[in-house]
Formats: sequence, structure tokens, C-alpha cells
Amino acid sequence: MSLHEKLVSSFMVLENQGKLDLDSSIHDIRTEAISSFEKQGFPTKKDEEWKYTSLKPILKYDYSVFPKIETAVEFKDVKKYFLHEIDSYKVVFIDGVYSSFLSSTTHDGYDICLMSAAYKQPKYKLVLDNYFNKIANKKDSITNLNTAFSMEGAYIHIPKNIVLPKPIQIVNFYTGSEKEILLQPRNLVVVGENSHCQIIERHQSLSSNVVLTNAVTEVFASKRAIVNYYKIQNDHENASLIDSTYVQQKESSIVSVNTFSFGGKLTRNNLEFYHDGEHIESHLNGISILNEKQHVDNHTLVRHQTPNCESFELYKGIYDDASTGVFNGKVIVDQEAQKTNAFQQNNNILIGDKASINAKPQLEIFADDVKCSHGCTIGQLDESALFYMQSRGIPAKEAKALLLFAFTNEVVEKIKIPELKSRITKLIANKLGVKLGFEL
Amino acid sequence: MSKYTEDDLKKELETQEYEYGFYTDIESDTFPKGLNEDIVRAISKKKNEPKWMTDWRLNAFRLWQEMEEPNWANVNYKKPDFQDIAYYSAPKAIDPNKTLDDVDSELLAMYKKLGISIDEQKKMNNIAMDIVVDSVSVATTFKKTLAEKGILFMPISEAIQEHPELVKKYIGTIVPQTDNFYAALNSAVFTDGSFCYIPKGVKCPMELSTYFRINEGGTGQFERTLLIADEGSYVSYLEGCTAPARDENQLHAAVVELIALDDAEIKYSTVQNWYPGDKEGKGGVFNFVTKRGICHTNSKISWTQVETGSAVTWKYPSCILKGNNSVGEFYSIAVTNNYQQADTGTKMIHLGKNTKSTIISKGISAGKSQNSYRGLVQIGSRAENARNFSQCDSLLMGNKCGAHTFPYIESKNKSAQIEHEATTSKIGEDQLFYCNQRGIDTEKAIALIVNGFSKEVLNKLPMEFAVEAQKLLEISLEGSVG
Amino acid sequence: MLKIKNLHAGIEGKGILKGINLEVKAGEIHAIMGPNGSGKSTLSSVIAGNETYEVSEGSITLDNEDILELSPDERAHKGVFMSFQYPIEIPGVSTTNFIKTAINEKRKANGLGDLPAKDMLKLIREKSELLKMDRKFLSRSLNEGFSGGEKKRNEIFQLAMLEPKLAILDETDSGLDIDALKIVANGVNKLRNKDNAVIVITHYQRLLDHIIPDFVHVLHNGKIVKSGGKELAHELEEKGYDWIKELA
Repeated sequence: MSLHEKLVSSFMVLENQGKLDLDSSIHDIRTEAISSFEKQGFPTKKDEEWKYTSLKPILKYDYSVFPKIETAVEFKDVKKYFLHEIDSYKVVFIDGVYSSFLSSTTHDGYDICLMSAAYKQPKYKLVLDNYFNKIANKKDSITNLNTAFSMEGAYIHIPKNIVLPKPIQIVNFYTGSEKEILLQPRNLVVVGENSHCQIIERHQSLSSNVVLTNAVTEVFASKRAIVNYYKIQNDHENASLIDSTYVQQKESSIVSVNTFSFGGKLTRNNLEFYHDGEHIESHLNGISILNEKQHVDNHTLVRHQTPNCESFELYKGIYDDASTGVFNGKVIVDQEAQKTNAFQQNNNILIGDKASINAKPQLEIFADDVKCSHGCTIGQLDESALFYMQSRGIPAKEAKALLLFAFTNEVVEKIKIPELKSRITKLIANKLGVKLGFEL
Repeated sequence: MSKYTEDDLKKELETQEYEYGFYTDIESDTFPKGLNEDIVRAISKKKNEPKWMTDWRLNAFRLWQEMEEPNWANVNYKKPDFQDIAYYSAPKAIDPNKTLDDVDSELLAMYKKLGISIDEQKKMNNIAMDIVVDSVSVATTFKKTLAEKGILFMPISEAIQEHPELVKKYIGTIVPQTDNFYAALNSAVFTDGSFCYIPKGVKCPMELSTYFRINEGGTGQFERTLLIADEGSYVSYLEGCTAPARDENQLHAAVVELIALDDAEIKYSTVQNWYPGDKEGKGGVFNFVTKRGICHTNSKISWTQVETGSAVTWKYPSCILKGNNSVGEFYSIAVTNNYQQADTGTKMIHLGKNTKSTIISKGISAGKSQNSYRGLVQIGSRAENARNFSQCDSLLMGNKCGAHTFPYIESKNKSAQIEHEATTSKIGEDQLFYCNQRGIDTEKAIALIVNGFSKEVLNKLPMEFAVEAQKLLEISLEGSVG
Repeated sequence: MLKIKNLHAGIEGKGILKGINLEVKAGEIHAIMGPNGSGKSTLSSVIAGNETYEVSEGSITLDNEDILELSPDERAHKGVFMSFQYPIEIPGVSTTNFIKTAINEKRKANGLGDLPAKDMLKLIREKSELLKMDRKFLSRSLNEGFSGGEKKRNEIFQLAMLEPKLAILDETDSGLDIDALKIVANGVNKLRNKDNAVIVITHYQRLLDHIIPDFVHVLHNGKIVKSGGKELAHELEEKGYDWIKELA
């Protein structure tokens, strides 16, 4: 039985076992999603949007699809995966099951809790009806798959005029309790007018068993809301992640999504921004540093539908060994979206002899009074700069690392949480395999 | 005309008529419409072709029948009915083997109208010309002068008779029959085109030129060009295209193959001005062309194109940079107006070491047109030190048109350096006022700015062509000029 | 030559010029001075015909012909030239090609044929020498990558080439070092004759040391609040604009 068939029949099992609330409106959405997925199947490389990423190597496993009972995890064993230097709200899942022990949620003035609770309680119904699965791409079979199985994830609802006092961390741990597991977290983030929140999201395996995560997040930013979203992807070599994040912005809101991909076997980041109002700012930033046979595909879409909005996109990639990078960035400017400014930049450095990069920066412009540009470069480290540094006594390896730091710095500088910035800097240092000898 | 706004200009653009939209009434010998093996055989027979050629065509036809029309390009059109096209049409009044002196006076008058009087070309421009009307090569000038250098320049139908070994060796090697739907169709039914061979070490002393024209209604034009530059040789080749204004869509599916052997250089320039259809989007030529060249060691192929015509264009002149140190260039201006659609660009396939490519693409969209750049830069794992620079700029005029950029960049070698830039802009109000203040009216100012925008590409055209191209840009975008 | 009567103009309904009266006769040089935001640049733009500004009242005539209904290019054909405060860049169009187009368009409007290439070259050589311009600038894209000073010199070069009846120099001195200022001023002075006129718009008096005005007008809040001879410029330099504001 193929994974596709297995998933479709698993859905029926779920229904029969009474694990799904069959009467809720969410269930109608699930049913529709599974039937779309059944028709669509998994995408293949023939699909233009998946031209450079093959799912074959990760679809061959016999994934277990039902989350099991919570496995105990000691905080001291996982502390390092949290940004523990600062206070934060935490929504933590272990093997797909909510861990109240590791979490720190709230309902005081705003809700930072879990989706499973939101599905059940009537007071959240209005929010779910208004936002759940509203901007997730219905044409995307993988998103549909997540929707069908969506049972758990983080639920964040901030009413208007609230500046969150501390960031929110959403952490998903996998203990390896199953040999091969498929997890499908589903997050919903709704930020009200004038409100401001910061989110850090991480997926982390605690064993080397095979895991495939198919995560979907919907983010809604109301008028003048500010949302800064950070994604840390530094998992081990048997962990794969398909992360789809959909963002809808209203007038004068500012949303940034920053993706740091340093680990994992295969990572696909779908990131889509939709504008609904004027004077919106969208920021999409990313750093990928890969080695061995890792594969990261950053697949972005910014849809300018309204006038006077801006989008800024900056992705940097460093590829060692036989790793492969993909950047597929699409900017669409609709006819109504006059006075749009859209900038996109993608810079790549190939270090490994067998490393490769495929880039597809696209502009689709239907309005005339716009400023749009994209740039894409593929190159190497500056040999003369390397030599210069060596001649000043800096060993080649450190010199190289410093130059690579410099290369990624433009994106690192955009991190607005100082502790996170220093954490990311250390992760980059580790990834590049150098001791810097100084604190950055 | 106190306030000549862009809107006024747009209105004028819509009503402006296609300058080359005349139909020459010359009696022609046309096959019945439809396509089957018999038609393919009949074309081959008409051309008195050897059996290997007939078989080659039939093979292509069989392959074509298995293929599907591609639909990945960013264009929408009603698929042609391939059974409603006549695949062979020759002007009857002339014999393909006649010399220029025997050419029908009516035809000569037509060329004059096209601004390419053969006599004039002969005298003034030192250009050797091959003219293909509908399906047949009409006249090749300067044959003798070229022969002295050992250069072969003739209709491909003639080359199949006279130099079968060359044709057989190279045809279909760069654009295989199975390359794509239209290349397969062309391989089955091509009726004529130009053949050119430059011997070792010879620098072709003059520009070689082919002029294509579709005249007869309901015909398709399927020309095939094969150009071989032997080791150390050089040639500059020009290609011009026009068609009369007609209500129905005419199909043009050409194949061009270029072979640059070691140390050779080929410059290939095209000014394409097929009928673009009227302002309602009715009629116009479907231009589905496959152009590709291969570069051997130290050789260079440079494609330059000015595309102003056709209702739908689908065209990607490409270079396979097989040899070490070889160079590929692509310079393009594509103008679309009214309901025109163009999906054009290039592929630069870097296989050899130290290979270099440059892509400069300028797209200008007006009216309700859609203009797309689609390109591929591919660096193979053995292409050490490969370099590419690409720049794709779009200029939009009015907010009912679209400009799109779809570059594909693939690198498998860590020593490669690739830079790609793309911008989209419009003509600034401040630029127009500045020109106005100096006494240049808005219409002329737009022409000036568009020419400036396209300059990097216009500069790559041979002199005689550059003037014509500049004029074409003005005609395509300005109502009142001419 | 130029007569401006009770001119009111503004942008998007906001009034900037509030009743300007000015007469410039052939052979004269007028300086218009004033603090920032007084309407100096608006006045030059309105004379040149920039459609961003709406004229709500008053008239502008050139040789007794109403020019308000004329488009900017038609005004240029009649001999109005404005040197831009911020000259515009036109990528890919060389200065030579640009000025050639401008001259021939003007000639066409006046019923003349194109200027023969030989004469054009001679004229370009002559005028570029007058302004001590490096001729390689002429083949570069118009104003693209030019320094502020180069752009201004290029404006005066175009003025010299087009030989207008009325030249308006809008803040031509800004961005010029003293040597360049002298060259530009010298160029303007050499082009003066009894049949043309110059309006110099400036914030400072220093350009007026080199282009000596016959009249100086002070603009404040959209009106000419004081007129006088060249000594008025010195007075302004010494006292600043504050006392003028009190006058108003």
C-alpha cells in the first residue's frame, strides 16, 4: 500500500474510531481536504512547483500516522533547544502530543494555547470559523493533507492593542518512540489591530529515527499589527520537514518571516504572503547553510493585490559537500496594486564539489507604476579577501568562516531579539565548524 | 495638442495600422490543406529529394503524431488546426532556380515596399540575400562572390541536392526531431530555408541575409535554416520576417540550427515583424520557433533579436556551450502591443570549462499585451569557471499589460559565477516633462526613451539593421510616425 | 517679452503662487530670490508648463501671445528654456542624441528642416568648448551617473545649443564649486544679447556676482514682496530673509 493510500484509509480509521468531532464545521473542512488530497496525491517533479525537489526519498517509509501517548521528556535534556536565556510563552508538543509539563501557556487577556482545546471549546468557534483554513492554499495537496489530519498545534489569538511582553516559542519534539513517524502540526496565529507579537518555532528530533513533519501555519495580521516570526530548522539527518506558512496582512501591518535552515535531510519551506489593504510591509528573510546530502527548498510567493505596499525578500545560501539548495521566489503584482515596491535578492555560495543550486526568481507584473526588481547571484568566496586575511595571520579555515559570516550577516542583523541573534550566530558557527574565539 | 498624454498615445497605438500589411497578388502553387504521410511525401517529391531525406521527414512526422502541443508557456491562444493549413505554397510566377534578373517584377515591387529592394541591398549594403516567400526561396544574390571564398549560401532545398553530405551530417543534430512538438512538425514538412557553410579560416566578407515573408493565406511557413561555421571562420547572418495582414492566424514554425566549430564565430540577428493581429487581437502570426546553436572549443555564438511582430511568439534562441572557452550571447528586444503575447528568452547550457554567457533582455509591453522572459542558465558539473551575466529589464506602458520574468538558474559547479538581475519600470512623468521642456513632444520622447532603454541590444545589431530596428520600435509603439 | 499678470497656481488644490506680477523685457536679466518654500521653483515650472501644477488665475504671455494653453514642448519651440534644479536621467540616450532631437524638433516646429550633421557637430564643438566640457560626456547617457556639477553644466550646454529667447535658471548654482560656477556664469553671459532674456532663480547671491542682474525680486509666500536693483541681492545676503518676512 502506498503512503498515499495509507493516508486516505487512515483518515477513515480516524473517523470510525470517533477521534474526530464529526459534527463540527472543522470536520467538513477536513473531509473536503482529504478528498482533494486523494485526487491530487503527492506532487512529483513534473509539477512545476516541485521541479527541483523530489519527495520520493522521504515517501518510501512506512510512517506511523497516529500520535501516541505522551512520552516523558526531562526539561534538562531539552533545555538547549529553547531560547532559555529569556522568559517566554511556550507551546510544546512531544511526538505530536501537547506537553503541559514543558509548556507555559496563557489565557490572560489573550490566548496562547493549543489547537485541540480551541477545536473543542465554543468560545473559540468564532475565531476558527473566521480564520481556520482561510488562506491555506487549497491547491496544495500537502497542505490539504495537513488540513485533513489537523488535530493539534499552537493556537495564538491576540486581541487588539496588545504588545506581548515576551516572545512565544512553539517547539515540536520527536522522541523516536516510533521507527518512522509522520507528524502534522497545525498552527493558527491571529494578531489584532495595533498588536505586536514575536514567535520562534522549532522542530527537533531527540533520536535518529525517521521523522517527516508536514506543518501548516496560518498567520493573520490585522491593521497596524506587527508580527515577527522566526523558524529554526536544525534537525538531524533523518528528519525531513515540509513547512507551509500562509500570511494574510491588513492595512499598515508589518510581518516578517525569518527562516534559518541548518539541518535536516529534506526541508521544504512554502511561504506565501497575501495583501489585503494598503501600506503593508512584508519581509521574507532566510539563511540556508547545508552540508552532506541535505536539501533545502525555499519556495516563496508574495502576492501584491493592493496599492502602496512593499515587500522585501532576502535569502542567502551556503552549500557544502553534496548538498542542494533551491530558491523559488515569485512576486505577483496585480493590476490594482499600483505603487508597489517589491525587492527580491537571492545570493548563493557553493563550496562543496558536488553541491548544487537551482534558483527561479520570478516576477509577474500586471501594474505599470511599480518598482520591482530581483537579483540572484551564485559564486564563491572572494579569493583575494581570503588571501588578505591569511596574510594577516588568520588561518584559512577561520578566514573562510569569517567571510561566510559576513555573507550571512545582512540577514542575521534583521533578527530583532538579541538573545536569538546570538543563538543563531552560534548555530552558524557550529555549522561552519569553527570556534570563533570571540563572542558575536 | 496641448496635452498629449499616455492615454492619447495608447489610443493612437490601437488605431495604428500594420505597415507591412499588404498582400501581393502573385499566382501561387499551393497544396491542398491538411497533413498526412502523403503530403509529407509530396513535399519531398516536389523538392526532388533523395530517399534519406524523405525517410527523415516521415520519421519526424510519425514522432510528431505521438507528441502533444506544449502548454507551459505563458501564452493563451486557440491551438491551430493542423488539418486546416496548406503545407506548401510557392509563388508560381517564378522558378526557384532562376537568378535575380528573372525575378517577377511584382515580387521586386513587393520587396521595395518592404524596404528591402534587392538591387539596393546589393549595391548599398554589401549583403548577400536569400529571400523566402511563403515556402520557397526566391533568389539568392551574390552567389558568385561568395563562391570564390568557398562559402556556400543557398536555399536548403538546393543544398540537399548539391551538398547532401553536409546537410546529412548536421541536420537535426542540434535540434533533434523529437526536441519539441513544433520542431518535429517542422522536420516533417519544412519546405525551404537557408543553408550556409563557411569553410575553415574564412571570414565571410559580407553580411548574409534571409528575408522571410508569408504571402499566401491559410499557409504555414516552416523554414529550416542550417548554418555551419567551420574552424576559425566568421559569419554575420541577418534574418528578417514579415507577413501581410490577415484575419486568420497563420502559423510559422521554423527551426534554426547553428554549428560553430572550433574557433569559429557566428552572429545571428533577427528582426521579426510578422503581422501582430489587429487591435482587437484578431489575426496575426503564431510564431513558434526553435533556434539553437552549438559552440565547440573557443567558438562564439551571438544571438540578437528584435521582436515586434506576431500575435503569439514562443521562441528561445539558445547556445550549447560544449567546447572549452566558448561564448554564448543573447541580446533581445521584445515589444508587445494590443493583444500580442510573447514568451521568449534563451537557454545557455554550460558544459565546457571557462565558458561564458551574457543575456540582455529588454521587454516592452503596451496595450493589453503580455510579455514574458523565460530563460535557463545551466552550469554542468564539469563546467569549471563558467560565467554568466543576465539582465532582464521590463518597461510597462499602461496598466492593462503585463511583464513577467521566469529565469531558471541551475548550477552544479562550485567555481561558477552567475549574476542575474531583473527590473521593472515605467516611463517617468519627470522624464517626459524634461524632454517636453526641451521641445520634444511626448510621442517622440517615448520613442527616445524606449530607444535608450533598448540601446544595449540595438548596439549589437549590424548598422543597416539597427536603423531598421529602431524604426520598427517606433512604428510598433507610436501611432503617428511614418 | 514675458508678461506675468496676477498669476495664481498650486498643486492638488493647495495654493502656492498667490498673485505674481512680473515683466521681463528683451535684453534684461532678472533675479528671483526668496527663502525655501516661497514658490520660486513653482514659478519656473509653471512658466515652462509642468502639468503637475494647476493655474487657477492670471496670465502668462510671451511676445504678447498667451502661452498658458500651450504644452511644454510648444513653449520650448517658442523659445522658453528652463534649466532644471534636478536634471532628469534618461538611461541609454546620449546627450548628443538628445540635444540633436531637441534642436531638430524645434526646427521642425518652426518650419525648418533638420540641421545638417556637419553644422550640428560644429555647433556641439563650439558650445562644449564654451562651457569647457569634456566631450566624452556628450556620448554618455543623459545625466546618468553625472555629478551634480556635471549635470548643471550639461543644462547650460543645452541652453547654449538651443539659444532660447527666455532662459530660466532654476537654482543652477546649487551643487557647483566656484570654478564650475564661473564657467557656467561665463557661458550664460556670452549667450546674452539684446534679443533674449534671463531669469535667475536662486537662494543665494553668489551666482549674481557673476551673472549681474538688472532687477532683483524677492518672493515670499507666493508673492513678490520687494523689487529692486542688484544691490538688493547684497542686502539680502547680509540681512538674511527674516526682514523680508516681516515686510509681507
